[in-house]
Amino acid sequence: MTALFFLVALVLLISAVGVVASRNAIHSALFLVGNLMSVAVMFAMLNAHFLAVVQVIVYAGAIMVLVLFVLMLLNIKLENQPALGKLVIGLAGLGGLAFLWMMVPLLQRSFAAIPQSAVDVQGSVREVGKLLYTQYVFPFEAASLLIMAAVVGAVMLAKRRYRA
Amino acid sequence: MEIVILLIKVFVVFNVIMGLASICTWVERKGSALIQDRIGANRAGAFVETDVFLLKPVAFVVRWLGILGVINTLLCDAVKAIFKEDFVPEGTSQFMHCLAPFMAVLPVFVSFAILPLAPDFEVMGYHIRPQLATIDAGVLFLLAMGSIAVYGVALAGWTGNNKFSLLGGLRASAQMISYELAMGLSIVSVIVMYGTLDLFEMVKAQSSVWGIFQSPTAWLSFIILFIVGMAETKRGPFDLPESESELVAGYFTEYSGMKFLVFWLGEFAEIALFSAIIVLLFFGGWNIPFVQLPEGAWWAALIGHLVLMTKIMFFCILQIVIRWTLPRFRYDQLMNLGWKILLPIAMVNLMIVAALKVF
Repeated sequence: MTALFFLVALVLLISAVGVVASRNAIHSALFLVGNLMSVAVMFAMLNAHFLAVVQVIVYAGAIMVLVLFVLMLLNIKLENQPALGKLVIGLAGLGGLAFLWMMVPLLQRSFAAIPQSAVDVQGSVREVGKLLYTQYVFPFEAASLLIMAAVVGAVMLAKRRYRA
Repeated sequence: MEIVILLIKVFVVFNVIMGLASICTWVERKGSALIQDRIGANRAGAFVETDVFLLKPVAFVVRWLGILGVINTLLCDAVKAIFKEDFVPEGTSQFMHCLAPFMAVLPVFVSFAILPLAPDFEVMGYHIRPQLATIDAGVLFLLAMGSIAVYGVALAGWTGNNKFSLLGGLRASAQMISYELAMGLSIVSVIVMYGTLDLFEMVKAQSSVWGIFQSPTAWLSFIILFIVGMAETKRGPFDLPESESELVAGYFTEYSGMKFLVFWLGEFAEIALFSAIIVLLFFGGWNIPFVQLPEGAWWAALIGHLVLMTKIMFFCILQIVIRWTLPRFRYDQLMNLGWKILLPIAMVNLMIVAALKVF
């Protein structure tokens, strides 16, 4: 199990670097798919089967497919990409450092919280469902409302050109 | 011993996939000939003769396999594909081009891991559950695998590096995304009906009454799932991504040799997968109507497995017959069917099933 963990972690890190480093937008998107899939494998190894499956359905299966679809439709060529200015690169680097500075304390705290051995949880889908519809029903419904508003907003923005 | 059991399960599941896919290939080739009033493949091996007395029965079998076209469709075509030139178009990533067929096949093969293939039984003191992976999320795993099946097709279209491939790939991904919604909703209604995510438990719940008769609207879920299954395999009246009159061959225009065959294998495995899902969810799995098989006996499990395979083959053949009978949809008809007919029906169906469950 530990060997598998390190293998998946390696894939996860390589694909994460690949997202940023590859010059082709479609390669980036595919690396991101690999990244999200390895996160799903991590969830599965922690016996969070429901989370793993939802991760694949939502991120790898729906969102990234649409991203890939748009990238292919636009057919972005390498020469069409504008070269980044020194200022942009500098600012991006600064932002990255700030993010790292925020992440370090968070990581230190969360390492302690990681369960050392994967516990066998039975019926975790049932448990997640129960929690979502009892204790967390308000945030859950609020999130669905937010998504609904986003969908309607996207359609409104896209269709505005065609209105008389 | 656990490892041995697991390896045997892997072997069996793999052979079930390959067996179903080969039978589908043969039925497709020979059945399409039957439907179109042709003869079809009947030459290779049909004239095998031998003077050795002991080999006479073998020659007899080979002759008949040849006349029925089995040798032609399963052996000769595969050998031909292996020795063909493996062409990779210029100006595209060779790695991605080689990866695409396998990304198209992998989700289908992996999906078979969670399908129960026979009732559980005891042998030599071991309790064996003929299902490769027992995961908590159950049926949802099928949805997850269905949703990543798009990548192989999209990549194949993109790495073809020409307009026909790209259009085929885009059509295929748009079609698969659109129909996945209806598929998800109809599967959710089935989950609500049985109250479990475990396919094994679902089949056990059908031991007296088949799933399609258990709820007044279960037949709606079945019809939606059947239509969506044909659309997801990109066959039948839904073969716009590879429509030969417009797009040469769609997303696999640039594929030749074994890679082309891998796409075909994936297509037939997917037909078998959807038939298996339909049988397990709605048509009782390995249960025979009015007959109770004894629990735990290995021979009962074997009979159950054969019953299940027979039912799966029935739906495979039904899909193939529909494919060779109905004309292709227009693109707007395809999208209207997916979004304006199947999706609302699936939603209403889900509400009805949930309401019946509560009240």
